[in-house]
Amino acid sequence: MKKTRFLSIISASALVSMMVVGIPSVAHAAAPQCDGKVPINSCQGATSDAAPYVMQVPANFNGTLVLYSHGYRPNVPVPAGIPGYGGYTVTNTPEPGPLVGDIDTSVIAYLLGHGFAVAGSGFARQGWNADSAIATDVELIGAFKTQFPATKHVVAWGKSLGGFITQGLAEKYPTLVDAVAPMCVADNVGAELTMAGDFLWGVKTLFDPTIKGGNYSAGAAGYAEAMGDLVKFFTVMGKLQAGVATGAWPDTSSASGKALATAGIPSRSALLLLGLMAGIPTQSAHFDSISGPDGALKVTFPLAISPALAILENGANAGALAVLVLQDVENQAGGAIFDNSKTDYAARVSDDRVIFNAALSGNTAINALLGALSPLNPDAPRAVGNAAAIVKMNALQANTGKINVPTITMVGVADPITPAGASVRIAQAFAQQYLDEKAKAYKDYAKSGSYKAPKKNLISIWSTTPAAYTTFTSAGAPVTTTPAAPGTNHCNFTAAQYLVVAQELVSAGQTGKFLSGGKFRNLVRRAKNLSIDPFFNAPLLKFYQ
Amino acid sequence: MIAINRRRLLAASAVLATGGLILSSVPAQALSLHREVGVTDSSIKLGVTLPMTGAASPGYNKVPSAIKAYFDYVNANGGVNGRKITLVVKDDQYVPTLAVAKTNELILKDRVFALLAPLGTANVKAVAAVVNPGRRGIPTLFVNTGYSGFANKKAYPTTFTILPSYIVEAKIMAQYISETYPGKKIGLLYQDDDFGDDALAGFKQAGLNLTVKVPYASGSQAISTVPPTWIQKLSAANVDVVILFGVSSATAAALGTAAVMKYAPKWILGSVGGDATTIKAVGVPAGVLYGAVGASFLPATSDTTDEYIKLFQGINAKYNNNAVFDNNVLVGMNTAFVTVQAIAAAGKNLTRKGLIAAIEKKGATFANAGLVPLIFSATSHVGYSGYWFGTYGPTGDLKPNGGEYTVYTTDSGKGAVVKSTYKRPAMPVDGLPTKS
Repeated sequence: MKKTRFLSIISASALVSMMVVGIPSVAHAAAPQCDGKVPINSCQGATSDAAPYVMQVPANFNGTLVLYSHGYRPNVPVPAGIPGYGGYTVTNTPEPGPLVGDIDTSVIAYLLGHGFAVAGSGFARQGWNADSAIATDVELIGAFKTQFPATKHVVAWGKSLGGFITQGLAEKYPTLVDAVAPMCVADNVGAELTMAGDFLWGVKTLFDPTIKGGNYSAGAAGYAEAMGDLVKFFTVMGKLQAGVATGAWPDTSSASGKALATAGIPSRSALLLLGLMAGIPTQSAHFDSISGPDGALKVTFPLAISPALAILENGANAGALAVLVLQDVENQAGGAIFDNSKTDYAARVSDDRVIFNAALSGNTAINALLGALSPLNPDAPRAVGNAAAIVKMNALQANTGKINVPTITMVGVADPITPAGASVRIAQAFAQQYLDEKAKAYKDYAKSGSYKAPKKNLISIWSTTPAAYTTFTSAGAPVTTTPAAPGTNHCNFTAAQYLVVAQELVSAGQTGKFLSGGKFRNLVRRAKNLSIDPFFNAPLLKFYQ
Repeated sequence: MIAINRRRLLAASAVLATGGLILSSVPAQALSLHREVGVTDSSIKLGVTLPMTGAASPGYNKVPSAIKAYFDYVNANGGVNGRKITLVVKDDQYVPTLAVAKTNELILKDRVFALLAPLGTANVKAVAAVVNPGRRGIPTLFVNTGYSGFANKKAYPTTFTILPSYIVEAKIMAQYISETYPGKKIGLLYQDDDFGDDALAGFKQAGLNLTVKVPYASGSQAISTVPPTWIQKLSAANVDVVILFGVSSATAAALGTAAVMKYAPKWILGSVGGDATTIKAVGVPAGVLYGAVGASFLPATSDTTDEYIKLFQGINAKYNNNAVFDNNVLVGMNTAFVTVQAIAAAGKNLTRKGLIAAIEKKGATFANAGLVPLIFSATSHVGYSGYWFGTYGPTGDLKPNGGEYTVYTTDSGKGAVVKSTYKRPAMPVDGLPTKS
């Protein structure tokens, strides 16, 4: 396996959402400025918190607004040269709808073409901004209705952190929206940071103890520390990438890491264990953990190597997320928020160690790795958070998963940033809610003689991976230059998949009902790589386990 | 962290999911006409995933055709309650992620009624975690793994094992070794996962002193430089008896390498990797096996005095292209034999729930070739629980020591190893439980 074959891995997927409409900042205005053009009347404005927004209203406006919330954007610039994020500058440019592959506006065009208005804010601040973003969305809905009094229905959707904001909007203000679609929805900040933070802590502990991994200083010093961590993190991921085939450990490894190397445990097994204990998917953009090249590695590759490569691809996202969000939320909370002082990593991998035993190099190796990560190992100090800061973090917007209005979720089964488990949590919460509502309906029936069945107000859509998708060169090296496979990477949806959600969303918003079963199933089938398997299961984020 | 009960949630999710796609109300009487997935008036579709290709496939890839052969025999004689059984076979190469994908195909695309005889602890566990047949109510019958954890009915509510657990095997093996080779130094080569952990637990429970333990990571047996290190460690420990507790490909790698290195202790082979045909097929001369000790819970494949062996050999000749009749073929046919009875016992109105209930209620009485009893019940989804020991002859045939099957049974806990008094009931007429 040649090093050059893997160079593209860690620069693969993008966390940063790009913009569809570039507009200049505008002064605070009570009402938006509209160009009055036909067929699309475009308006720009800013809410009272100075968050810029855009509205686009077709001449044949049917009375339904489709409000979009964009995903996470770092709230600090990222210096050039850092894989995936280098050169990013903070922006609050608004987005009125999802882009396909960061450039394709066809989904927005579809909505406008069918008489729907679209709107979206760029939000007042970036980073983990759910609280302020929900407030902005509430104000934006009001501004739209004031500007366009013919508005009858409002539906909302968003992806990633925007999905979280959308779900939060529906939980806090159910009367403002008629239906919502949180796509590739993020989980609560504590759950997301547990996933990303655990992985970053593991990388630091085994592969480079000079990574700070949180508890950053305030102000500019903290920013410098975080950016330094990003550089170190990607550097060590590159070294792990280079050592996948041989099992070599990075030269920056800790004393514990070096001891594990001496014991003959390949670094790829250590990397895989870190991914599993963090809950990172073992299928990634280019590695399905199923396929192998023809020849001697046909079975060995998927069994022993591919899962680690998947963690390498996916973990690049998780580590970067950890650094960027930790630094942001620590600033918001006033201190260190990642705390793994009581985390039982052995329990976290009790099932996975069986399933991925071969790739983890067997129980003896697994036990040695867990021993190195144990709180009893002085070379692996646990992170202890600041109690007051954690209280503040936990006071940030937290979604319960309560379903107040018709809701559609969609997520890739191997999304590395917002794992499918976040959507499963919503489904499980709704299952409980439905049971409770049903029990209440029975009680009411006993009193009144009239039975009103609770509504099945949630549809979960899963973007699935193909049966097998890793490809190999004639020399047997895996190909990593092809587009990410469906179901992998973050919010990696096609236009057809977005339109399934969009059509279901506007139907539910306008009528209170989902599309009929046959029509919906046909849409799903035509969009490809989607499943509405009601029994689909993905593990909840490790925070909940 | 979660306030609500997770088990209740899963059940609630299932309830909700069942009706999730039924957007309009369904009259109650219509539900009674509901046909179970994978069942028609004339057919029952079952599915299996196991390694048909790849390093771990030798031997095990003969199981599906053996299962099919017995089903074909039953089908040719009227089927079960008028239904003919078909088996969809998927190759998972012994890769857990592939087993998940293939099982999803079986359930969602092929729409099988039940899963049958999946192989491998890691694979079955991965499927249980991701596909979750238990939550779907899909029976997973007679898994080809002896991992004791699958006996946990709460965690695996629709799963039934058939092999004795690896703990049972190790406990009985330990007693055999202690009685047969007192004072000898014992070495162990084992797969370094839950398969091997069960064995270690069993040997420990039985108090067997192991001078050297050599673990190998699953799959590493295919790396040519690895098996010589096993032999070096065993040889250096100067042990008299070596237990090989791994899959067939690992057993073959150990025996073949030992022969080259002229290392010849007393070999004792675990049942999982003890099929002589498979070992010979990958190039190990039969002479290397000669005198080694093996274990089984079924009659010896060469025992033509056994009515089941005679029956299965006949079916093998007619419906299985007269494949070499080895332990994998025998296990496959016996599994099919038990499956047919389970389906028959579930009655004409065949449902998944009914099938599970039938095995729980009547499974312990199912006719089968086993020389130890099946112990299915409402509280136990465990199949066999015992072994007999034998010695490999010059051609690799395993024959019972002393010419008679002396069967020992125990449990996966602290129960003692005892000599079994079980008398196998007579085989149903023509080997067709559907006739009786």
